[in-house]
Amino acid sequence: MMNKLARLAINDEGFIFDPVTGNSFTTNRVGLWILKQLKEGKEPMQIWQEMTARFEVDPETAERDLTDFIGQLRTYKLL
Amino acid sequence: MEELVVAVSGINAVDNPGPGIGVIRSLKEDPGLRVKAIGLAYDAMEPGIYLDWLVDRSFIMPYPSSEEEDYLARLFYIQDVTGLNVIVPTLDAELPLFIKGAEELAARGLKTFLPTWEQFELRSKQRLIELASELGLSIPPTEIVSSYQDLWRALDRIGFPAMVKGLFYKAYRVHTYPEAEGAFHKIVEEWGYPVLVQKVVQGEEVNVVGVGDGEGGSLGMMAIKKLWITSLGKIWTGVTIKNEALLEATSKFLEKSSWRGAFELECIATEERIYLIEINPRFPAWIYFATGAGLNLPARLVKAALGLPVKRDSSYEAGRLYIRYTYDIVTDMETFQHVVTRGES
Repeated sequence: MMNKLARLAINDEGFIFDPVTGNSFTTNRVGLWILKQLKEGKEPMQIWQEMTARFEVDPETAERDLTDFIGQLRTYKLL
Repeated sequence: MEELVVAVSGINAVDNPGPGIGVIRSLKEDPGLRVKAIGLAYDAMEPGIYLDWLVDRSFIMPYPSSEEEDYLARLFYIQDVTGLNVIVPTLDAELPLFIKGAEELAARGLKTFLPTWEQFELRSKQRLIELASELGLSIPPTEIVSSYQDLWRALDRIGFPAMVKGLFYKAYRVHTYPEAEGAFHKIVEEWGYPVLVQKVVQGEEVNVVGVGDGEGGSLGMMAIKKLWITSLGKIWTGVTIKNEALLEATSKFLEKSSWRGAFELECIATEERIYLIEINPRFPAWIYFATGAGLNLPARLVKAALGLPVKRDSSYEAGRLYIRYTYDIVTDMETFQHVVTRGES
């Protein structure tokens, strides 16, 4: 799961570049934070728990957003 | 530093540009060379003739399809009047002539750094099919056809859209049987049989540019992805990438073929595999991209042609961006008049 994420170049403004495919993406502040957690090897469950503490969001919304975001990463073949 | 006179063709910097201007710009930027650039043109309107900060003199050439003797005689004339040392042909149609004439050119002291005839023929689409598997690359489903009946049967199996291709040159994307028949007819008329029908594979368009040392090694290579292409399919923006599978396949290609000279590998990358589409025996029109990213491949090729020491590394960063742009110049009629009346500027 980690291999592709590890190779991504991510800047602080949420610009993501994949040096193997040449594809680039943008994400918002929350997406950027989730990506960094995934790159550090954290599991979705742990990220979800930290998300509710870090951002003003209820657990259900956080879970839905995290699931959606991970789904998008899979769609773009980043996971 | 002694002045080096280098002739470069493909100075047609138009909407389907030749590689010449990128090659000359690279040569002029190399700190180890002092190059006087000679443009070899086929028309007085080729923009390179007028870019006097890059192209020092230009000469109109006979078409490569004309008699080899006439073509070489023109080169020897250019040598007599300019002191020409090295020639870098950059157009597909010129390559057979230069490869066949390489010995005669060398005997007159004109250096080139080109593939052998055998290496040149490796690019035939039939041979590519065999070569690709040796390189760990795939080839889109392809059928070789020599009649309309074969063509229809191949299209039944492959489906639409499909590419109808000549053995060495030309490729048409077709969506219907009548379109395919038209493309088949055009290719046969111009290039003869056989014709290939190839499935269109969806994926990222990735290319590798490089120079082979003629002994199985590389004098540098760089991979890119095309980000934006024109309606003619020409790159307008691109980005450098580090796709190890692609670069390894390119190294294998050099090892197996002992390729000498410039090359461009055109591929389509999907999640699972890399498809080899074409090998071009020359620099691409975007060659200055490599120079700007730190690999001055034209300068390395010229040094190799002269037997000088050459850097062999392929050090570049992924994520370097290439942007082509248009530019205008206004000049008087003098250069144009000279080229039209004298065939040179």
